[in-house]
Amino acid sequence: MLAAGAAQGAENRAQGQGSPFAPDPLPSTYKPLPRADVLIVDATLLDGAGARMDDADILLRDGKIVSVGKDLPRPAGVAVVDAAGRWVTPGLIDIHSHNGTYNLPLVYDSPPTWDVAEVSSPNVAETSIDHAINAQDPAFVMALQSGVTTLQVLPGSTPLFGGRSVVMKTVPGRTMQDMKFPDAPQGLKMACGENPKGNFGSKGQAPTSRQGEVAMMRAAWINAREYLHKLKREQGEGSDGGRRGHRPGSPRDLKLETLAAVLEGELRVQLHCYSADDIAAMLGIAREFDFQIAAIHHAVEAYKVPDQLKAAGTCAAVWPDWWGFKMEAFDGIRESAAFVDAAGGCAVMHSDSPFIGQRLNLEAAKAMAAGRRAGLDIAREKGITWVTSNAARALGLDDRIGRLAPGYNADVVIWSGDPFSVYTKADRVYVDGALAYDRTDPRYQPRSDLLIGHPARELKP
Amino acid sequence: MRLLACGLLAVSSFAAAETVAIVGATVHTMTAPEPIRDATILVRDGRIEAVGTNVVIPADARRIEARGRVVTPAFLNSATQLGLTEVGSVDATNDASVSSGSLGASFDIQYAFNPRSLVIAQARADGLSRAITFPTGSAGAPFAGMGALLQVLPDDAVLERPRVAMFAEVGGQASGRVGGSRSAQWQLIRSALDEAKAFKPGSRNDPRDSALNRADLAALKQVAEGKVPLVIDANRESDIRQAIALARDYKLKVILKGALEGWRAADELAAAKIPVILDPTINLPLYFDHVGVRADNATLLARAGVRVILHASFSIYTTYNAGFALREVAGVAVANGLDHHTALAALTANPAIVWGVDDRYGTIAPGREADLLIWDGDPFEPLTTLVSVILQGSEVSMQTRQGQLRDRYKPGTATSPVPPAYRSP
Repeated sequence: MLAAGAAQGAENRAQGQGSPFAPDPLPSTYKPLPRADVLIVDATLLDGAGARMDDADILLRDGKIVSVGKDLPRPAGVAVVDAAGRWVTPGLIDIHSHNGTYNLPLVYDSPPTWDVAEVSSPNVAETSIDHAINAQDPAFVMALQSGVTTLQVLPGSTPLFGGRSVVMKTVPGRTMQDMKFPDAPQGLKMACGENPKGNFGSKGQAPTSRQGEVAMMRAAWINAREYLHKLKREQGEGSDGGRRGHRPGSPRDLKLETLAAVLEGELRVQLHCYSADDIAAMLGIAREFDFQIAAIHHAVEAYKVPDQLKAAGTCAAVWPDWWGFKMEAFDGIRESAAFVDAAGGCAVMHSDSPFIGQRLNLEAAKAMAAGRRAGLDIAREKGITWVTSNAARALGLDDRIGRLAPGYNADVVIWSGDPFSVYTKADRVYVDGALAYDRTDPRYQPRSDLLIGHPARELKP
Repeated sequence: MRLLACGLLAVSSFAAAETVAIVGATVHTMTAPEPIRDATILVRDGRIEAVGTNVVIPADARRIEARGRVVTPAFLNSATQLGLTEVGSVDATNDASVSSGSLGASFDIQYAFNPRSLVIAQARADGLSRAITFPTGSAGAPFAGMGALLQVLPDDAVLERPRVAMFAEVGGQASGRVGGSRSAQWQLIRSALDEAKAFKPGSRNDPRDSALNRADLAALKQVAEGKVPLVIDANRESDIRQAIALARDYKLKVILKGALEGWRAADELAAAKIPVILDPTINLPLYFDHVGVRADNATLLARAGVRVILHASFSIYTTYNAGFALREVAGVAVANGLDHHTALAALTANPAIVWGVDDRYGTIAPGREADLLIWDGDPFEPLTTLVSVILQGSEVSMQTRQGQLRDRYKPGTATSPVPPAYRSP
């Protein structure tokens, strides 16, 4: 079944090629690192989809997971990695990162080094964060060392429409393009609540209120719908659905292209939204304009409306313990992910921070512990889904990553022990079947340009 | 999924005058590197009377079975704004800094302290016994003003030591407040101390000779005379070495906070007996001031003999998770080489000594106040549960506003015909 899902996804991707609404001027140039087939044996394995296997083996071949099970045959010429006493999980996925745009070392008061968001207008849907990413941000390498193999870089939450996101691998490259996840669905970052109205309102600009935010969003979706209709009329409703690009002479509008792509289901909405009322309002807009919100990020009050999120098929990306720092975070509780999960919803842990992005497994552990204290039976094989398969689902990549199953990309972490222990480290991280990090082998310990050559970093003799 | 009794960890508060025996736990006394297994802690009148494996339990003592549990001292967080902030984004609830007016070094946060803050209530349920609550800025940079040591009680919080220390911030992130150079920060600190030393509280000052007003000079005089410590927030090695030189030149009690490049001056900090308050989770250079940061900074400092205190510097953890976040930062320090005992001491015995309350707090030993945490495992592990918080010999309520929200919205309630507002509490 899993393999069939992967095949279907590949087919969908093939059909999506050439869409006029999601053209990518900076396509991926990612190439997997040099790799050889690997058989990892005798591990405690959490498959990312809810199952646990003890003393399990997993075979990685040509970048894919070929088989998972007990006492797999050992093909000649395949390196065997003994993982007895160690744990194996899918590579972790962080769906909310700003890596590459803080540009560490950063200076908050120095705009030239800070590109988290374009804040000149509440609607910058024409922007794409992949034009701002510094691939040498050491945070990427730190994420890799911490078992993260895929992350989504999102624009910041000042504008209502923050622009396009980009999904990246954590294998360092020369530029963003070398790290871009091939053929990953793109996202549109949106934001509601305190941030947009606070930022623009304080400058005397719209929106100054939540109702203003929603009105501006609806107006933008109405324009996008009109734009889409006009485009389809111009193209004629041919057998291909009239989606084959602009006629010469017809001016392009990048803002509306982005929004139209959402309405066509080609871009996934990644929405920053904290409170239950705001979440409900956003789900209402999605129903009104017939698009889906892939995930509500920072969904601090998701635990109050888990049924609505589930009905909409929308994931809730949460932290286990952020609360209090602003009014829309005032009601944050540690059980949020567990309660969303218990309602049958899609709970995801996310970082929003290059430091927390190194401890996604511990974020899940804290959320699991809170759920257990509230009486819910949350096993490790369940908790790991919050940073693997559920996160993949939010990205629209659940046919390729987030699971240890045949046909899936061979993004695999060998942990030194229980991945929910603070003392555990990622021993080895494989991305597309290639060893990208090894805790004991300096040849597999990448270092970013930004951190080499500093006298302050050199150990004294 | 089934939800078990959600009013979990029901409180069975007992009078402080009671005699209580906590029996069978693995006890981290902090008086020895190894914990005592299968130990008994005898508590009488809110204080520890005895601890060990052959403690005689009086017949009238109430027993708390703690077999399989772990007991530690309650924690002291050495860097918070507890009682000075309620909601970060709501200005009117924030009292940790002033940016104008006449208060520089003399800015003293004690008058703003709110013991009824729900942030403190959360920290209490997360195991906090004490905290430093400190100012983040004054009108007299680089001084931020005077912080306090607060004590968390079973039903209250009090300032145990107002004016426990003077705070100052140096380095590139703060230099804008003094005109743009860290050199000015050090010059201003030195000239202020010179003035303060010469200052005679009763006498008349010539304002033409004085850069500081009388209130600031009076506050700094305590520092200059070594009666009140100066906490210097600095990260770059050059600034850390300036702090060491300042302590030597003026014979000050200096405590270093931040210290992300501290490992580069570990031996010198140890020789100068300067304690360090640091966050071991910072392993990336957020700023150029700590481009030399290392994940094992705490380990290298402790190994050199520096008294290390751990805290959580990330803004959302610093105060809102003032108790909870300490577990994770200590665990991360251990994962990067710090030994477990030292990491636990960095939340208990070490800050007790640095803030001058080790006669009553920080170890589990006869005569100390019974501020104890009972865990179902290693306190640094995220899957471990804090089972019970005992302050002044009394088990405190583990219920918080977060817990009340949790109970209102527990699974299965979303489709209830009864709206949350009609649910208890």
